[in-house]
Amino acid sequence: MISFQPTDEEQSFAEMALDFAIKHIRPNARLCEKERTVISDIAQKAVELGFSTLELPESWAGLELPLISQVQIWQALSYGDLAVVQGIPGAGDAASLIRLDPDAPPLQAYKDLGMGRDSWPPVAFIDVLNRERLYKSDLTLTPSGSGYVLNGTSPPVIQARTAESAAIAAVDDQGEAAVLWLNHGGWQVKEGDFRLGLLAAGLGRLSFNEYHVGAEEVIARGQAALELMKKVENRIRVLQAAKEVGLMEAALNYVVEYTAGRKAFGQEIAKFQGVSFTVADMAFETAACRHLVWRAALKVEEEPSDSLGTSLSALYRAHKAMRFVTDSAVQLLGGHGYVQEYPAEKWMRDAQAQTVLYGREKDLLMRRGEKILETAKEEIR
Amino acid sequence: MISYEMSPQQKQIKELVHWFAENEMRPISLEADRQEKVPDEWLEKVNRMGIQLNTSSFVGSARSGDTEKSAKKKEREGNRLAVIASEEMAWGDPAIALSLPGPGLGGPPVQSSGTPEQKQRFLSIFTKDKPRWGAYALTEPEAGSDASGIRTTAKKVDGGYVLNGQKIFITNGGRASWVVVFATVDRNLGRAGHRAFVVEKGTPGFRTTHLAHKMGLRANETAELLFEDCFVPAENLLGGEELYASAGNRPSGFQVAMKTFDSTRPIVAAMAVGIARAAYEYTKAIVKQEYPKHGQLYHQAVMMLADMEQEIDAARYLTWEAAWLADVGKANAKEAAMCKAVAGKMALKVCAECLELLGPEGLDGHLVEKLYRDVKVFDIFEGTNQIQHLVTARRLYAPYGVHV
Repeated sequence: MISFQPTDEEQSFAEMALDFAIKHIRPNARLCEKERTVISDIAQKAVELGFSTLELPESWAGLELPLISQVQIWQALSYGDLAVVQGIPGAGDAASLIRLDPDAPPLQAYKDLGMGRDSWPPVAFIDVLNRERLYKSDLTLTPSGSGYVLNGTSPPVIQARTAESAAIAAVDDQGEAAVLWLNHGGWQVKEGDFRLGLLAAGLGRLSFNEYHVGAEEVIARGQAALELMKKVENRIRVLQAAKEVGLMEAALNYVVEYTAGRKAFGQEIAKFQGVSFTVADMAFETAACRHLVWRAALKVEEEPSDSLGTSLSALYRAHKAMRFVTDSAVQLLGGHGYVQEYPAEKWMRDAQAQTVLYGREKDLLMRRGEKILETAKEEIR
Repeated sequence: MISYEMSPQQKQIKELVHWFAENEMRPISLEADRQEKVPDEWLEKVNRMGIQLNTSSFVGSARSGDTEKSAKKKEREGNRLAVIASEEMAWGDPAIALSLPGPGLGGPPVQSSGTPEQKQRFLSIFTKDKPRWGAYALTEPEAGSDASGIRTTAKKVDGGYVLNGQKIFITNGGRASWVVVFATVDRNLGRAGHRAFVVEKGTPGFRTTHLAHKMGLRANETAELLFEDCFVPAENLLGGEELYASAGNRPSGFQVAMKTFDSTRPIVAAMAVGIARAAYEYTKAIVKQEYPKHGQLYHQAVMMLADMEQEIDAARYLTWEAAWLADVGKANAKEAAMCKAVAGKMALKVCAECLELLGPEGLDGHLVEKLYRDVKVFDIFEGTNQIQHLVTARRLYAPYGVHV
């Protein structure tokens, strides 16, 4: 039955997340950005409240929540600040890999490490499976014996600076896919010169020089690797899109309040339709995205092998909408939107960095479109 | 629990209406557009089948007093059924859908504000023996989006009211057995002076003066109505004198008109979604059949199709949400405006992009050019896109006490 009523459990979890976002995340967002990390107080509280284990399986002492519940919680958390949320220490995006293959032998050392601590060690998740080589420095994966040799530098990923483990999905020189899990460090962290956004999330690149990957570090190869990553990517796309919706909701509500109070030409600027209509557009986009994300969250778990389209569409629309909504927020605050005394400029920077990190919009669209045509019928009705 | 899955009953309605749309509406779609008329024998036939356009399903939401009561009952799904059915109908042909017999847009105000006697009198006439229509007349030459500015007057006389004025853009207004007409008893009272009357066909002083020729929706009748010293008996005042007396100074006639929109906008939005989907599916099949499988054209096409698909889905879900809110007895004015704004704009964009994909050949006897002409008005009637922005913004700013 079509319904938009969250369960009582989802509602109370999301309310708790929103409360944490408003009371703790938002007030510390600037500080975290300045420190270029999630300050320990916030990180610790987030971990205590269970936000770093939402996706992890129960066998890993995780909450193993369904995606539809998680998206509501991530939305609420990101209402506080997207960069802080992205920097909450733990398995991060790799949690979806763990969720889908919890018993994979290469993961067990990480599991033992995490189960013995209060928090899960940070993981850099490097997915270059669908990325064509662009830069000379790009990662290369060369089969060697029963393992591989890694060379080159990863694209920037979150939690790179603090990563104790790295999950890598790539295609080797022979054109075969592989999913690796590296526990032993030995890579070089390139901290780089990041200024745009998500600065609290530990952005950086991992650099490998003749790095030997043993067979015991290989989670999957070939078709199995592709199948696994297809499902992992679906989940990550949905979770990331949910965070984007949370940021949009933050920007929308902030702008409504600001424009209701700010006066110009003798009246609240909300009374100018150039302002109020833009705000309405922001509301339209936010609501539209929320639906596409929720729909994808359900679809991904109902039909894990046939949900590529919904996750691609949800993330595509979320990227596009988030850029529009955060840009509008800066615009409607005018000069105040541009300065750091107000949160809008940060939200716009974080949004732009987020869209760049999580898939090119045109690529998401193209992949969805190819699937549409592949399954389309020629019969005109 | 959040779900985008239809209930068995919702699925059944969707399939049934889709079958009808595909097999009964589509075959006459282009011809009806050419003739600017839905054939009478077709209307007779579908009326005998019991197929009607009934937008009254939204009525429950318009009665705030019912909220508690309905919450205790078994979950209603009439509003969701209505948007699901409307999407399929419009997928078949929007002009024919709007011409289907039934109370049409006149249904919701009678259902929500009529006395039990009026409901019985006006809503029971839609029987299988003969096609009949109801209509809704608010717009005037000088009052469109600003419905509070209507000039049609209702002068109280012994036993009823005398109406004078003109109404334009009235869907099925000429053929309707009755029309819900909004008029003012005193322009100085503003919205508080508004009253809604049910004016029956054949009432002396009431006539159709013109049928509009339009960009699209040509098969659907759009009438201009004239009221010249038209006497309407007191029993045709919607809700009776009590409704207006009990409302004190509140502008209840205006509210009747506005509440109707909370009910009809999701229906109109759902129809826009259906039109967009029709154009998209038609174009997708042609691209699959005719386009190269690689290269620049192919890449442009796949990206445009993917973009359209998510736009259509998002608009549909917004429509479902507005309907769901009504079903569970919650206020849905903002969501009704939002889904209408998004769907109306989206649908035109999708139709335009489909035409782009079809190329010049698409201008020659293809359904999509008709859909493009049809769909434009979905961003205008039942409140323009700008009005939907205004309604949405007002609701967003209401918590801050700022009236925009």
